[in-house]
Amino acid sequence: MFQRKKECIAMLLAGGQGSRLYVLTKDTAKPAVPFGGKYRIIDFPLSNCINSGIDTVGVLTQYQPLELNDYIGNGQPWDLNRNWGGAHVLPPYTGTKSDSWYKGTANAIYQNIAFVDRYNPEYVAVLGGDHIYKMDYNKMLQYHKEKGAECTIAVMPVSMEEATRMGIMSTDENGAIVDFEEKPKQPKSNLASMGIYIFTWATLREYLIADEEDPNSENDFGKNIIPNFLKDGRPMYAYSFEGYWKDVGTLDSLWDANMDLLDPSDPINMRDPSFRIYARNYSAPATRMGSGAKVTNSFVAEGCTIRGSVEHSVLYTGCQIEEGAVVTGAVIMPNTVVHKGANVSYCIVGEQCVVEEGAKIGERPENYLDGDWGIAVVGHQRTIAAGSVVKPKEIV
Amino acid sequence: MKMTGIIFSEMYSGTLNSFTQDRNMAAIPFGGRYRLVDFALSNMVNSGILNVGVLVKQHYQSLMDHLSNSQEWDLNRKNGGLQLLPPFATEDANSGGSRGKLDELRNALDYLENIAVTPYVLMADAYVVCNIDYRAALEDHIASGCDITMLATKETGTSQLKCASVMNTDNGRRVISYALECPAKPGEYASMGNMIISREFLINVIRDYTSRGIYDFLRDFIQHEFNRGRLSINLYEVDTTVLRIRDVNEYFQNSLAILNDDVSAALFRGDRPIHTRVTDEVPASYGLECQVQNCVIADGCFVDGSVENSVLSRGVKIGKGAKVKNCIIMQGSVVGEGACLENVIVDKWVTISGGAQLKGLESNPVVIRKGVTV
Repeated sequence: MFQRKKECIAMLLAGGQGSRLYVLTKDTAKPAVPFGGKYRIIDFPLSNCINSGIDTVGVLTQYQPLELNDYIGNGQPWDLNRNWGGAHVLPPYTGTKSDSWYKGTANAIYQNIAFVDRYNPEYVAVLGGDHIYKMDYNKMLQYHKEKGAECTIAVMPVSMEEATRMGIMSTDENGAIVDFEEKPKQPKSNLASMGIYIFTWATLREYLIADEEDPNSENDFGKNIIPNFLKDGRPMYAYSFEGYWKDVGTLDSLWDANMDLLDPSDPINMRDPSFRIYARNYSAPATRMGSGAKVTNSFVAEGCTIRGSVEHSVLYTGCQIEEGAVVTGAVIMPNTVVHKGANVSYCIVGEQCVVEEGAKIGERPENYLDGDWGIAVVGHQRTIAAGSVVKPKEIV
Repeated sequence: MKMTGIIFSEMYSGTLNSFTQDRNMAAIPFGGRYRLVDFALSNMVNSGILNVGVLVKQHYQSLMDHLSNSQEWDLNRKNGGLQLLPPFATEDANSGGSRGKLDELRNALDYLENIAVTPYVLMADAYVVCNIDYRAALEDHIASGCDITMLATKETGTSQLKCASVMNTDNGRRVISYALECPAKPGEYASMGNMIISREFLINVIRDYTSRGIYDFLRDFIQHEFNRGRLSINLYEVDTTVLRIRDVNEYFQNSLAILNDDVSAALFRGDRPIHTRVTDEVPASYGLECQVQNCVIADGCFVDGSVENSVLSRGVKIGKGAKVKNCIIMQGSVVGEGACLENVIVDKWVTISGGAQLKGLESNPVVIRKGVTV
């Protein structure tokens, strides 16, 4: 019997809680957090897959998967609705021998070996679901093949200070990885792992099975699988990525990444028509600007109604800004209403919130002298009562 | 669902000829992100109609591209769904303009007889922009016991444009007078190109009339039979906002009408969304020097000038210092730096050079054709 074969499929790790996003991930997984007006974080790796010619993606979910499952559906918005292949949501499941949650990133793939085997792939891309970046994985795959690698890790240079918080690679002149350290105190190099791997499936499969049998393993790619590859002298290469890549795992970095969309030089390259980011669409009408509207230096999705003043802000689908409301430096997530006279600045406001009349959220850094400044954050579906104040750095 | 939808896509292709060089009427862009056909189609889908046939005749590539596999309307169904009904390639079908609705309906005969076998058929013209629930109209039709139900609006008599049909009724909403191609006087009912009729009855009419070479549905069938007392007409009054697009001026006025809060609220309801093709544009960007007042702006726009009282479709760019007032600017067009536009309709993919000055009249806008550079 001839078995059909895919050259490369992707496994997208989307089970993370994203606990450093606090209220924003209380009821939803981090990859489902809204980003950039009309997107969710997971739109970036999913769109990267389809734009790289990868048409089969297993999405591994665990923490609060309802919204994510619903969002991905049959994968149609990303052109991932395929008769053979396509997007598959893969939650943990029970079996005769085991019934366990995904213990670690490697265990999550281990538990889905049967899924990967169905496509009999030569290579498997293992991707994180929590970064904002555009990347052609196919170029990385070509590199993997040229080098004769069994594992290729995407890396990018970071500052030495950041390097202490990341997985750091040292390479020889050919790009082969000779050393790997997770969060080193004294980094030997500034090449950080982006959490994007391409493996030769036959090799990874062996290592996953061996790793599962090791009772001392944490079943994690960074802590176990990669060090084991290195120890055994498996051909492992670093693939240097140049371009925008941002971890949006903290409230500050999420706000920063949104603000990057206002940069006229478009660092994320959002407008490139040959490499679009796709998202599920909700049939909202075009945005209405009222007669009193004042909008400058902002990024505004469809379905909004704006009658107040908006500057340096990112407004997501379906927001309403009433007259007399002032929005500055704010990230306002879908379907939030800001009523008359409210002042919303330097903050993230979650989905479907109501900011009542005269409420005040956040403050410009230069105007705040009473203590430690930071962006204010309001979780999803909150009501900020009329006249009340959410201080800078406060999380509601 | 007991009803099949049939959409006519050509009705005013002739008088809207500034826009119909390479598209048909149903494919004319409207409201920043829609095409005219989206309204009839979404209303049908939102009313639970599962079978929709779209009658097309001339240059319908643009419409086909827009409807694609109809998944945005959830009409990519195994049972039912959307079917494009092009003419059979006979000599007379290629001979130019439509000879009448019955002529077009001939191309739906097979569809109505064998595929969409529901008791009733709703025929809708794509020139009408509104958000209505056809279920109530169908119930009204069944309860009336009449042969045909016409959906209509009560006129205030402000428009001098001719309506396809103008009716008066008795208290029971039974039509007592039926006139064609005239302006509606205050208190009269103007048709909105939407009719409900039994499928079998319609099939018989199409067969009978077209075999005798008679093609005008409204004049030769409805009016003729009504005047002889052989056809009973029920009128279903629609009292929400209904915008008609019958010529370029009306297109201009009604495109700007969506800037009105009440009109916008009536057309774009959360419970009955108007669906359209998804293009995956990025959200709109507003520059440091932009001024926007009373506008409708779609995704993918880049606004750095001043825009007032205007509708910008997807991917429109307004350069620094440009002034745009009372304009409709369709997808992908670029208004160069310092250009000044007032009362202008700009079709798709137009480039307005920097510093250009274009001014139309409120009652007679300038139209810039698709793809040109000014």
